[in-house]
This record gives sequence, structure tokens and C-alpha cells, in this order.
Amino acid sequence: MKRLTWWLAGLVWIGSGALHAQGLLDELNAVIEEPTLPVRATFKDTRIVNVQSNETPAEGVLHFVIAHRFGTLSSGAYDLWGLDNAQMRMAFDYGITDGLAVGVARNTYQKTYEANVKARLLRQKTGPEAFPLSVTWYSVAMANGTRLTSEESPYPFTRRLSYVHQAVVARKMSERWSLALVPSFVHRNFVQESGEAHDLALLGVGGRCKLAPRFSVNGEYHHFLTQSFGDAFSPSLSLGVDIETGGHVFQLHITNARGMFERSFLAEPAGSWANGDLYFGFNLSRVFTVKS
Amino acid sequence: MNSMNPMNTLLFGSLLALLFVGFAPDAGAQQFMTREGNVHFFSSTPIEDIEADNRQMSGLLNASTGDFAFQVQMRAFHFEKALMEEHFNESYVESETYPKATFQGSIASWENIPNDGQRHDVVAEGEFDIHGVTQPQRIEGTVQWMDGGWKLQANFEVTLADHKIVIPAVVKDNISPVIAIDVEAQLLPR
Repeated sequence: MKRLTWWLAGLVWIGSGALHAQGLLDELNAVIEEPTLPVRATFKDTRIVNVQSNETPAEGVLHFVIAHRFGTLSSGAYDLWGLDNAQMRMAFDYGITDGLAVGVARNTYQKTYEANVKARLLRQKTGPEAFPLSVTWYSVAMANGTRLTSEESPYPFTRRLSYVHQAVVARKMSERWSLALVPSFVHRNFVQESGEAHDLALLGVGGRCKLAPRFSVNGEYHHFLTQSFGDAFSPSLSLGVDIETGGHVFQLHITNARGMFERSFLAEPAGSWANGDLYFGFNLSRVFTVKS
Repeated sequence: MNSMNPMNTLLFGSLLALLFVGFAPDAGAQQFMTREGNVHFFSSTPIEDIEADNRQMSGLLNASTGDFAFQVQMRAFHFEKALMEEHFNESYVESETYPKATFQGSIASWENIPNDGQRHDVVAEGEFDIHGVTQPQRIEGTVQWMDGGWKLQANFEVTLADHKIVIPAVVKDNISPVIAIDVEAQLLPR
């Protein structure tokens, strides 16, 4: 009994002193409701590997991307495993608001020009008004810029156009894992032979595993839901890493799609993972705060 | 068990009562509170100045003892550049893992501070917790009785390394190892 009494006396002494401030903090925690906050940085960049992520450039930010895809790794040492055959894409995306961006780009492949718009429709949030998903819309028009040949000249300009529309449904599952489902619709105005498909629907899945604060491993796969544009094409599969330094993000990857615009890498990946016809490539992005 | 001595029983009973009283919030103490205090921090290097604002600091002050507690949601800091905000949360303070910073402490000689509308210099000592690392922190500031409440203002410096916030070599020249923090809040009776 005596021992218990002493024990209690000790507890009272500790309780009355040190615990007072802690008590205030607990009391504060009990009355302060957690604010509703948007989930940020589901992906490090506006692309997972090839496909768009749910991220858009912030308001007033110019997002500049230089991307390269080299020749096939299977081309061997003579071409330095493809490094002698670089294709590039140069893109400018600008954030008009925090959830709306427009962009233009130019690709080596078929001298293709792009104009695109990206809009955040829904945003993942935590707190009392939590929402589980982010949904971002992306639409791009692509124009083949190669010189007109004489047999092409009677056709209107619109035959050179193709379009892709997609919704990026993304969720940051945890600090480490982010996942995205990307249904896409591809339309091309021109086909080589009558009877070839003008339209293609795909369902893509992409994700990242963030292994360190500035490093993640990314991957994506796009399944053909309808008749593909030709037997030469296989579904797009890409794996890569994101490395972030200050204002740059480096994305290094291996992919079976050499084109860097949506119609090309979704509908027309010419390489095959089974045969080792893979391309090494990178995206290098830099942000410029144009308007603060 | 020995038969209980009445003196012991009394001691035991009163200690038991004290125990509950000791842990309960002081019923008579007047508390002052804010949900919209302002925290501002500033990192200055020859290359770049970085600052951020947070207007959602909450705080509680026990006006009979001078004990206080403040907390702030790390994700609610607002930077000039969106990318800074992302890096701050993702790479430096890791706000998903450590969502809050807290300060709990006590204002020294609180009982001597009159509510005369004048600004009084004070010193507070306490524990500052950010990035999951708690360190003792001494803060100089002022308190002032104003518009029916206590206005608190303080500034202090935090050494990032003390709280295991790591600045990578590539941005060493852009981010100061010591960050200046300003805090201002008007606490009203609860």
C-alpha cells in the first residue's frame, strides 16, 4: 500500500509539471479541424514516361521539355546502341491557371507539330472534404509537317491531322506509390488503304514508385481495345526513372515506342520488347516562372 | 495485506484525487486561442531569397500560467513559386510523413506582464518540433493586450541540420542552412 502511495505521489508530481504544455497541445489538436488540402506531386512531371500524368504546369509557369529517343538498342556497338540515331521533341507548355495549360511542340518524326490543351477536372484532396482521385483531361492535335509530294497535293491539309483525347485518372496511393488509369482515343484522318481503321481506343495504366525524395521508378502500358493500326505495331510499354534536381526533372527510359507524340507512341510503337527492339530515351524538363 | 492505517488511507485518497485534478485541464484558467496565426519564413543566400507564408497557424495560451502551444500544417505554406512549394513538401520537410510543426512552451515571468495595452518584451522557452525532430528552442518576442485578446509576435532562427532537414549539394548555394522564422498571432478568449 505504502509503495503504491509513493508511486501515486510521483505521478502527481510529474503530471502537474511537465505535462501542462503537452496538455495544451493535445487540447489544441482536439479542437482544430484538419484543413482540406489538395494532394500535390502525384507524379514529378507532367508525363509518366511517354503518357501524360495528371500534373499540369502551375499558373504562370512555362514548362520546357527537350526529349530524345535514340535508335534501337539492338543496333549494336557500331551505332553506339542507337545513340547515333537521335530523334527529338521540343515542347513548351504554359500554365494559364493552376489547372489549365496549353502547349505546342515539334517532333523530328514526320516533322510533326502539336498543339495541346490540358485541364484538371478533379483533384485528389485530404481533410474533411477529401476526394480520392485526380482527373485530368488532355487533348492534342498533331500535324504531319513533311513536304507535300505531287500525288498528295490534291488532298486538303486536314488529311495530315490526327487527334488524341484522353483522361488521366490518377491517385497518389501513398508517399511512395502513385497510379494512373489512362483511357485514350486516337483518330487519324488519313489511312494508307481503304478499310484501315481511323480510330483506336486504348486503356493505359501507369505508375510510379518513389524510392527516394528525388528519385522514382516509373512505368506505363497501353492496351489496344480495338483493332490496331497494323500488325507491325505492338502495345506501348515503357519503363524509366525520374531524377529531380532543383528546377529540372530528368526522365530516363526504355520504351518500344520511338515517337514522342501521342498518336505515335500509343498507336504505332514499332519496337517489340520480345525482340529487343527497344529505344533508350530521355525527357529533360525545366520550369520557368514567367509570371509570379 | 496489512490492515490499512486510517492516515495512509487519507493520504492515498487525496493523492488519487490530486492525480485526476493534475491531469485535467485547469478549469478556472482562461484560455486564449487563434486559428489564423501567421507564420512567415525566410531563407537568404547571395544567390536566392526564398520565403513562404502560412496563415493557418493555430495556438492556445493559458493566460494564468503563460503556457502555450502552437501548431501549423506544413502543407499550408505558400511560396512564390509552385515548384518551391512542391520541393518544400516533397523533399525537405516531407510533409506527408510529418504533417505538422509544433511549438509548446511557456512565457517566462508571465505573471508580471500587465494587460495595459503596451507592448512587452518577453522570452519563451519550449520545445520546437519540425520534421519529426524535437529540439529545445528559446524565442524572443513581444506580447500586447489588444482588442480583448493577447497579441503575440516573435522571431527565431532554426538550423535545418538540427531537425534532420537535408539540403542536397546541388542546391547548397540556394538554401540557407539557418532559416529565419516570424510568427504573429492575435489570440482571443475561448
